[in-house]
Amino acid sequence: MLVTASLRAWLPWDTAATQAVGGREVGARRPPPVGSAPMTDSGEQTTTTDSGVVPETGEQRAERFERDALPFLDQLYSAGMRMTRNPADAEDLVQETYAKAFNAFHQFRPGTNLKAWLYRILTNTYINSYRKKQRQPAQQMTEEIEDWQLAAAEAHTSSGLKSAEVEALEHLPDSDVKAALASLSEDFRLAVYLADVEGFPYKDIAEIMGTPIGTVMSRLHRGRRQLRELLSDYARDRGMAASGAGER
Amino acid sequence: MSCGNPHTRDCSEILANLYLFLDNEADAASCAEIRQHLVECAPCLATYDLDRLVKDLVARSCCELAPTPLRQRVVTYIRGVQITFTHVEQG
Repeated sequence: MLVTASLRAWLPWDTAATQAVGGREVGARRPPPVGSAPMTDSGEQTTTTDSGVVPETGEQRAERFERDALPFLDQLYSAGMRMTRNPADAEDLVQETYAKAFNAFHQFRPGTNLKAWLYRILTNTYINSYRKKQRQPAQQMTEEIEDWQLAAAEAHTSSGLKSAEVEALEHLPDSDVKAALASLSEDFRLAVYLADVEGFPYKDIAEIMGTPIGTVMSRLHRGRRQLRELLSDYARDRGMAASGAGER
Repeated sequence: MSCGNPHTRDCSEILANLYLFLDNEADAASCAEIRQHLVECAPCLATYDLDRLVKDLVARSCCELAPTPLRQRVVTYIRGVQITFTHVEQG
């Protein structure tokens, strides 16, 4: 299977990298694995064992990983579902993400944003391993930052939803919202997900997606506009269906 | 486009910054301006309400539970590597 194969591909060296030699890390100069870049702006060393603190054993680190990182499993799976749009790939993606994160955990600096770090690994894993395998053509965005700034000379909402339609919108089933989100292009979808579901600040989304903040804003702007239109259409249909049915 | 009423800031400027406001990314001065504008301007308020609703819908609809077998595989992986660590350290 895909995950098993890719895990085997990098497990040997990473296991070696995390071997304890007198409790100290070896292989510290090896290029950092995907997603291991620090999520903060300071230029401090990422190595935590050189600070005079008693070094952590591999076993202790594994326990800390399980305690701190495992609680994000549901969230990462939900994000994986939005990325891959099918459960089997989402499971593989998340499993691979956890394996990578675990093997790079010695490079994670305690006190920085673990959730954002995990999301970054998830996103990189998806981009590197899964997007290529998925059948849909690569959804390359051609957005320019100016695009939304120009479009920002915008008008009030043209949707003109009636109150019954707003109510229908409020009560749209989750499946409609997921379907609308799934129909957005990948970059828009992920930006909207990270902002609205996870509540990440723009700065973190930029780091997770590896783009400038202006690009994040552009993706959010355009993604949400599309989403607003799609959901309004659903709500109109459902509003009409409700009023057509007469009573509830 | 403007709603036709006089405002300190034109509607188009407010609308261009609505997402920043919604996402808590606008600075305090900008937030205050937008809040004041939304009090005065019904069309902008309607747009804001709709954007807020869409954001809430997405937040509400996309939370899923990881399947139990996935959880088990991840835990097994972590603990499996942990056993390897122990073995290496003892050897």
